[in-house]
Amino acid sequence: MKYWTETIAIARRILTELLRRKRSLIFWAIFPIAVLILNGLIFAERSKTALPEPLTLGQALQRAAPATLVGAALFFSCLGGSVATVVSEREQHTLKRLFLSPLSGVSYFLGIGLAHSAIAVGQTLLVGLTAYGLGARFQGSIGLAAIVILLSILSYVGVGFILGTQLARRTEDVNTLVAAFGVPLLILGGAFVPAFIFPKVLLDLAQYNPIFHMNEALTKIVDEGNGLAEIGAHFWFLVVFAIAMIAAGWLSYRRMLQVERRL
Amino acid sequence: MTMLHLDRVSKAYGKRPVLQDLSLSVAAGEIYGLLGPNGAGKTTTLNILCNLLKADRGTIRINDQPVSERTKLLIGVAPQETLIYRYLTCQENLQFFANLYGLRGRSLPSRLQTCLAAVGLSDRATSLAETLSGGMQRRLSLAIALIHQPKLLILDEPTTGLDLEARFEMWELIRQLQRDGITILLTTHLLDEAERLCDRIGLLKQGQLIAAGSLAELRQLIPAQEIVLVQTTQEEQAIARATELNYPHHRYGNDLAFWLPAPLELKEILAQFDGIPLDSIARQPVRLEHIYLEVMRSG
Repeated sequence: MKYWTETIAIARRILTELLRRKRSLIFWAIFPIAVLILNGLIFAERSKTALPEPLTLGQALQRAAPATLVGAALFFSCLGGSVATVVSEREQHTLKRLFLSPLSGVSYFLGIGLAHSAIAVGQTLLVGLTAYGLGARFQGSIGLAAIVILLSILSYVGVGFILGTQLARRTEDVNTLVAAFGVPLLILGGAFVPAFIFPKVLLDLAQYNPIFHMNEALTKIVDEGNGLAEIGAHFWFLVVFAIAMIAAGWLSYRRMLQVERRL
Repeated sequence: MTMLHLDRVSKAYGKRPVLQDLSLSVAAGEIYGLLGPNGAGKTTTLNILCNLLKADRGTIRINDQPVSERTKLLIGVAPQETLIYRYLTCQENLQFFANLYGLRGRSLPSRLQTCLAAVGLSDRATSLAETLSGGMQRRLSLAIALIHQPKLLILDEPTTGLDLEARFEMWELIRQLQRDGITILLTTHLLDEAERLCDRIGLLKQGQLIAAGSLAELRQLIPAQEIVLVQTTQEEQAIARATELNYPHHRYGNDLAFWLPAPLELKEILAQFDGIPLDSIARQPVRLEHIYLEVMRSG
């Protein structure tokens, strides 16, 4: 009960602060929708020359939605958001105040994860409903798609903790970190440019990029209606990666606690 | 009854000792001031009390319990920095920390109101913390420290950075908390603040408690009952005259100070310094700053 109450308190605080900053909230909504529509338009246009039968806008959005979700939306909200939360607590020193209370480290970790999962669910609905409203019709197992999205969220939150506790000390560092690590990974993951047009060397490299596997797994489920058997390689890569990142995030967080636990 | 007891507590960072056999007791209901220059060990002491650091040696008991995660429930801490969430309202800040202390249910709203009222922020309950003045933010920080009804309140530099009016308000608030039965341990660099608020004062230097007691007890540590401050162009003559009279002399900034073993009338002092041109002369009772400077110099 103690852990539950504390986890909910942490998550509610993060979400309340986010809701209070309405402008940020609006930007967080505009960003994935803009990327979705741009990606959809590009897909639709390219299909006129690349495919025997061109895609309708709905079909193009159906193909663009997974990459938009895991690449543009979840990456920035879960990874960028986790980094920003940890860094802002350290920068404003509110972390010290938390240490003075009986709050457990587990609850704090889970609370941040829960808050960003809630944001991610909101973005999933936003991207999904926008695409649906413009004609996309998703296929495949909703449960399997939800698991892939959950694994993506856990991976991003874990990496967010690693970066936020070990590499970023100030809010300004968040942007440079995301730009340095994130944007190349997003491009190599097929978030903005479809992976099938990559040269072979980049495609080989992409096999080591978790975003590529998130993107491929989700696209194969919702656009092509594939099941676990067809996406197995991507799925298990993601499972291992998510577990590894949560473990590494937890260890990084514990290390930060040892350093920051001072008045 | 003793609320806080430290017995021969030592702590070192590497080979550098920070606390050396520190022993002190704070009685229930009193305000105890811990004073000392930067690096004296005040913050390390607070970190140990809050279970954020482990002492290398010695015992610490709060309300007769050894320091642990459980004693965090007995302590309320208002840190020197105003550590609040700026995008939450006063009430939301309090509710958040109340939840962390396990407070919930029907009694919670009234507890929030009581805390806000105690620090005079009832009418700002729904204001965002970032819109509060510095003094109000400090009071909100104090309310957070009080939310779980602690037995021992630790105030780290409670008025540093506040304007005079806010400082007076905070002092009155601290006195009111004492009247409500809360034991208070405060650290401050403001000797005036310690003198006004504290029942007892401990002076810390290089990790050791070099003097402790009430202001009256501390006054016994220096051989003076009154301080006379003079400004003169003939300082050497004035010092020579004071030496003849067995008045120790000290320098406080630009002022030359003589320690009088007993209070004298102004005309008697002027008579003693007859023939020496004095630009100004002022009598002062012995204050904590005089004791502090002397004890730190010689201790």
